[in-house]
Amino acid sequence: MNATVLALVASIVLGTGSLAWGYVGVGLPQLARWIVIFGAVWLAAVWQRWRWFAYVGLALYFLAAALGLWFLNFPPGWMFAGAILALLAWDLTNFRYRQTFAASDAERRPVELRHLLRLSIIAILGFALASLAMVAKLQFSFDWIALMAVVAVLGLSQIIRWFRNRS
Amino acid sequence: MSRAWFLGLLLFVVLIGGLTTLRGSELAVAIPLLLYWACALLRAPDEIKLEIRRQLTAERVAPGTPVEIKVTVSNAGERLEELALDDIVPVGLEIMEGSSRHLISLGKHRTFEFKYIVRGTRGGYAFGGLYAEAGDALGLLRIATEVSAPKRLLVLPTVARLKAVPIRPRRTRVYSGTIPARVGGAGVEFFGVRPYEVGDPARRINWRAVARHPEAVYSNEFQQERVADVAVVLDGRERADLRASGKSLFEYSVVAAGSLASGLLQQGNRVGLLVYSQYLQWTFPGYGKIQRERILHALGTAAPGSSQIFEGLQYLPTRLFPPESQIVLVSPLLEDDLPTVIQLRARGYRVLVVCPDPVKFEMSNLPPLSSKYSRADVVLAGRILRLERAVSLRRLRRAGVQVIEWDISRPFDQEMQGAFRRLNRAAG
Repeated sequence: MNATVLALVASIVLGTGSLAWGYVGVGLPQLARWIVIFGAVWLAAVWQRWRWFAYVGLALYFLAAALGLWFLNFPPGWMFAGAILALLAWDLTNFRYRQTFAASDAERRPVELRHLLRLSIIAILGFALASLAMVAKLQFSFDWIALMAVVAVLGLSQIIRWFRNRS
Repeated sequence: MSRAWFLGLLLFVVLIGGLTTLRGSELAVAIPLLLYWACALLRAPDEIKLEIRRQLTAERVAPGTPVEIKVTVSNAGERLEELALDDIVPVGLEIMEGSSRHLISLGKHRTFEFKYIVRGTRGGYAFGGLYAEAGDALGLLRIATEVSAPKRLLVLPTVARLKAVPIRPRRTRVYSGTIPARVGGAGVEFFGVRPYEVGDPARRINWRAVARHPEAVYSNEFQQERVADVAVVLDGRERADLRASGKSLFEYSVVAAGSLASGLLQQGNRVGLLVYSQYLQWTFPGYGKIQRERILHALGTAAPGSSQIFEGLQYLPTRLFPPESQIVLVSPLLEDDLPTVIQLRARGYRVLVVCPDPVKFEMSNLPPLSSKYSRADVVLAGRILRLERAVSLRRLRRAGVQVIEWDISRPFDQEMQGAFRRLNRAAG
């Protein structure tokens, strides 16, 4: 088992655990049980190499985290951890597939190392920034919302333009 | 949906959700996604500018011979964080050593070189391009391209070395060779006597004839030996081909055609090759080593095929063959081919048919017997088929067609040695 698979399994286990723990913490063990079952299925999907399942996993984990944060006032740390680790699992599922291009372990290792390092930095930075935002407890006025909406639309149009240029 | 689109959509949904609920702190969950996107965009490649050079240790090889493929990839563009390379290996070639796929990181103006060894069965293999897929550091925004680096590997058929192929066409060419020309002149074999002409050497005088007819002097005449026009016809019709246990009877036909063409060229004849398959592939007649190469090249790429027009041998384009020349037909022969072959003979062509034995082929490549049939049933079926075939081939022989049946379990050259001897004996 190489480092990517180890990291992938660890991401799914820890992400599932974080979300489930968060839900148990506020007295919703039924939902937590379903999250654990889903995590087990995700692990089985990794074993079966169902790449598409990672997309479902990422979407559902973000949904679960968002639900917890938006409507139920859960402890944010566990929700962030669940979402970020699901993002890592989704990324690593795809990276694992791309590794099949490598001719040998010697060729794969440096690429793998670089990728895992970058991913770790993103995860740590993401977690830190999200936590900082939570600590700051930013309240949005109408001006802020309008500004963010404009930025979101501009950003989205930039991304679409980039895709069009490429194709 | 690509990964980038999916993540973008997820980010958008999370952002919209956060803005809708008007709770800024909840927007924080979008931060890791934004960070991931930003990191990907930062190092996303704009284009792939690769220069590929492909080298083969040999471009014409015998079946099963290892060939090393060396591919040099040069990056003429920006640094590519994650570059996946897949050299598309033509179907039919087997990679023995090394890999045609690589995952690397390639800096600006840097070069990466990889090698792998392939081998294959008879055929022409065209190496097209190299598939390259480059992505950002996270593999989110990826672009792919196929860089052309064409090369061709030809795996030629195995050719057996044959001694003189016994052909005797009615008409020969003017150049001296090894085929008895039915014309008196300089040669080895006695041909007849003629009145003495000034300049005839004394040892050519037939003293017995002179003694019998003292009024004149007679000289011996020998049969001239010349080269001939030979057309080797390879039957590539799919319906005449048999396949069993991953083997094809056509492959045996190719070996036979190649060996015969090579042997006939060695004898100095002018040889052409016609592959009668899905379409007609005609290698114009010629002499010598270059022609041998041309024929082997044609045989290297020959494949069985089906066509409504060339289903039977009746459309064999006889105009391609000079009148009264030699035709060497390499075919397992089907029942409905016999009239065509007999007709060729009737038109004045000398026809030699070399048949890779289809019954032997099928019998030696039988799948495991089902419970429905016993071993004795199969043996009996084989005997019936052989008898039917023997009757058909006898019909051909009676029509003056030379027929050689090749027991494919034995090497072609060994089989032909005995068969040629028998044909020579029959020709007297």
